[in-house]
Amino acid sequence: MNYVFHLLTMINIYTILALSLNLLVGYTGLLSLSHAAFYGIGAYISTLFMMNIGLPFLPSLFLAILGSVLLSLIISIPSLSLKGDYFVLASLGFQIIVFTILYNWIDVTRGPYGISGIPRPNILGIQVESIASYFIFSGVLAAICAGLLYLIGDSPFGRVLKAIREDEISAAALGKNIPRFKVIAFAIASGFAAVSGVLFAGYLQYIDPTSFTLMESVFILSIIIIGGTGNLSGPILGTILMIILPEILRFLRIPDTIAPNVREIIYGILIILIMRFQPQGLSGEYKFE
Amino acid sequence: MIIQLLVNGIINGCGYALVALGFAFIYNTTRTFHFAHGAVYTLSAYFFYTFYNLLNWSLSLSAILTLGLIALCGILIDDVIYTPLVKQGASLFIQMLSSLGLYIVIINFIAMVFQSETKILNPEVQATYSIGNVILTRIQIVTTATFVIIFGLLMTILKKTYLGKVIRAMRDNPDLVSAMGINPQNVRRVVFALGSALASVSAILIGLDVGIDPHIGLTAFLNGAVAVIIGGVGIFEGAALGAILLGLLQSFAIWKISARWQELITFLLLILFLLFRSEGILGKRRRIEEAKI
Repeated sequence: MNYVFHLLTMINIYTILALSLNLLVGYTGLLSLSHAAFYGIGAYISTLFMMNIGLPFLPSLFLAILGSVLLSLIISIPSLSLKGDYFVLASLGFQIIVFTILYNWIDVTRGPYGISGIPRPNILGIQVESIASYFIFSGVLAAICAGLLYLIGDSPFGRVLKAIREDEISAAALGKNIPRFKVIAFAIASGFAAVSGVLFAGYLQYIDPTSFTLMESVFILSIIIIGGTGNLSGPILGTILMIILPEILRFLRIPDTIAPNVREIIYGILIILIMRFQPQGLSGEYKFE
Repeated sequence: MIIQLLVNGIINGCGYALVALGFAFIYNTTRTFHFAHGAVYTLSAYFFYTFYNLLNWSLSLSAILTLGLIALCGILIDDVIYTPLVKQGASLFIQMLSSLGLYIVIINFIAMVFQSETKILNPEVQATYSIGNVILTRIQIVTTATFVIIFGLLMTILKKTYLGKVIRAMRDNPDLVSAMGINPQNVRRVVFALGSALASVSAILIGLDVGIDPHIGLTAFLNGAVAVIIGGVGIFEGAALGAILLGLLQSFAIWKISARWQELITFLLLILFLLFRSEGILGKRRRIEEAKI
């Protein structure tokens, strides 16, 4: 049963990641390869506050979100004037820089050794300890995040984002301050990614930089490409599919030595096929035009 | 010490420059952000490993076969992955994401067949030569010489031949190329074959020097792409200039700071260029109406 709860917890964590990246890719039309960086920033900030200063869970979560939002401004404010593939490259550069810092700033992050013994969250006296209770806890947080992101996407703000995605010049002609909208969308997405990071750290009770690599950013992006973007159902479907897929391969008795490779080959082929035949993904609305 | 660092930086830069030129040929003419260029790099290193180390064929035969095969792979990638997308009128994002998907497929296929550990292509201790205070290994000299010859050849092709004229025309305006009665598909095939072969030359030379693993392609590709941006997109010489500058900078970063921060320096440079001089060192500032992409 713990196995099922584990899978469901991972789905909860990745749902937040997918839905928040969706706000950038699917609503605003900004392709970002730095989502794993903000996921990692959230995980590290909360862990460092909890372990070094002994701060409780909720304030650490708040500081992680705040830190991630502030760091997102460093990259978003200057680089949002960049067009098309240049923005993608800038986000890729930021992702690699964050990874290099997490990996090499050993005094603070312990680098490749990682940080172990991260406490399970304690919310106002309620200790979340077992895997089953962590599933419920992460589920509640994921539901709150999904609800908030739905409201944001459905609000006038969200509609402006979609307008930017469809036709930036027309949106600007209607008097919308495009860079400001993009910066805010980027900050919101980064803040939610930090929530996932905090959940992940509290769940595994161990973090190291290899969970937050460029390939992890690519993985999160592939979740929403395969599931679809621009609405809520696409990213959620994508998350469920991509988390369950490795388990299906396990039942097919593919040897453990090649299983990760087989899994990634399937992801890659899925991306190519979807881009070719159904660019809006399995259940999305945005077609990357 | 300083001279040795300078020389090492330039030689590393020559290795990057071959990958960068390959990427530039593809990116400048087709505008496809060819992520899978990194996978092509890794693939050619493993082709060469198979011929040279597993089958024990001679160095030159292995190298020639690898170059030929990888040029074919380049054409195949364009025909199977990119051309159908271009015909559908798919956006550059879709092409870029498909390329990313292809990268993942090829790299994992290689990792599945050959495992992930580093393979040594050239187990012998390399002969070294000292010129004054500077010590060079044989493979470093070969890399530099190869780069100089190939760079000279490419520039002659680009500037003096009909093919070069067509490639430059394709860079400036793909629609006019087809209006001239030239099939743009064939130009695409040429640049994909040529670009992939250039990456392959670098993969073989650097592989012989330091060994290979499935992930070498990503670093090589990223260095190459950064070099193209800092040199100037659209300018073929810019790719080589950017690569050599990048090699020098990395070698000074290793000296002054630490090898661990090499990637940070590389991508900081990329971001600074994107923000403050996105047209690159050799690029001219364009008016908005002229800007492509």
